[in-house]
Amino acid sequence: MSAGSGATLVQPYISHRMLRRRKRRRAEGVEEIAPFRDRSAYALDVQLASLASAGDDAAFTSLVTRFQPAVFRWSLTFARDPDEAEDITQEVFVRVYRQIGNYRSDGPLEAWLYRITRRTATQLRRTRGRRGRLLLSSAARPERDVYTTDPGGRVDRQRAADVVRALFAELPQRQREIFDLIDLQGLSPAEVAERTGMRPVSVRANLFKARRAIREGLLATHPAYSELST
Amino acid sequence: MNCRECLEELATGSLRELTPDSSVSRHAAACPDCGPLLTQLRDREYQAATILNNLRPLSDPITVAGTAGTLARRHRIGRVVVTLTAIALGLTIWFAADTMVSDFGGKGFNVPMLRTETMSLSCLTPEQAGEIISPYVRSNGSTYYVPPAGVSAITVRATPTELAQVRNLLRDFDNDRNASCHLNTGPGPDFTELQRQLKALEKLQPVLAGTKASPAATKPDNPKNK
Repeated sequence: MSAGSGATLVQPYISHRMLRRRKRRRAEGVEEIAPFRDRSAYALDVQLASLASAGDDAAFTSLVTRFQPAVFRWSLTFARDPDEAEDITQEVFVRVYRQIGNYRSDGPLEAWLYRITRRTATQLRRTRGRRGRLLLSSAARPERDVYTTDPGGRVDRQRAADVVRALFAELPQRQREIFDLIDLQGLSPAEVAERTGMRPVSVRANLFKARRAIREGLLATHPAYSELST
Repeated sequence: MNCRECLEELATGSLRELTPDSSVSRHAAACPDCGPLLTQLRDREYQAATILNNLRPLSDPITVAGTAGTLARRHRIGRVVVTLTAIALGLTIWFAADTMVSDFGGKGFNVPMLRTETMSLSCLTPEQAGEIISPYVRSNGSTYYVPPAGVSAITVRATPTELAQVRNLLRDFDNDRNASCHLNTGPGPDFTELQRQLKALEKLQPVLAGTKASPAATKPDNPKNK
């Protein structure tokens, strides 16, 4: 890579688990191709994170403006409805405000944010589950559209909640996450593996299981399906 | 490709990557069962992706950022308060425990702090030793036991500090050379002198006996002698 192009060899943001795996593979003598990243692609994010960690509230606001839709979108995967996704999004940015100094600036901020979103959603769900709130079915819960004055927006949110319920209700969290990232958001399995810290083979296995579970209902309408299932 | 193979492919394959010239697409185009099914699957995933990807958060980013900052600061203050409270609680428990141990030591709290020791006495009687050490064995649970007659020892149950004091006291008093027990029993120079004088007196005994008899015999006023 030429230095003038702005693309340099960098180490992407990796978790401790991935780091251990890489060390093990290196010890085993497995050759690993270091990924190349275009640092200029996330130079702005690094700059914003640096300013925000120094206490610049304007930079933090810019960072929120830049990433709020993405975080909200990821939260939809983990939440049961858009309102819960809003709560997760808010909590994610509270944590980002506190931990922005921990961002190592050696990989895309997006991946770091995704990890925080995932962890936050899991912890919130666990906390709420402990309190027994999630035991209530979504039908039993009161509608929380008091903030939504726009009827069109309310319909969109209701449809999104229906989609989440229809597609993800029965899926384990990992499968729904991978299905959403690959089939609905269009990421490649390799990108998902890097972002979630999973092995590519696990990503593919989970993806196949998720697809099978999601499509099973429709496939069962085919006359030859019984022949396939036997 | 037959329907079974097509279904197998549709069950786990990527619908995004299905090109029009793929075998699944060609079969679906010709098959009256697989064609509508593929369309339905595609529509459902396309609609789901469209709905979810186009949904925007209702919250204003500026509000979210402001709330995040406020909450994060509040969390930080909360952590400091919790830490300080925990320290205060720890100190309170420590003080309370310390006070209770000193106040109720004899009632179970500092029972392990008491030690029992039996000290032999060479000069003092157990009663005398008890009288000497009594003012020093004062903490809760501390006491001393005087054994039955004939045993020259004393058993003390007290704190280590008190035991050390008692040990020093008994050593001082028990080894005092001026104590009456040492004067009476030891083979000291005074006793030897006494023995020597007694032997001298014994030697003089016949002489003394003689002197006792002669005055009676030589008494001039005795009328029998005349």
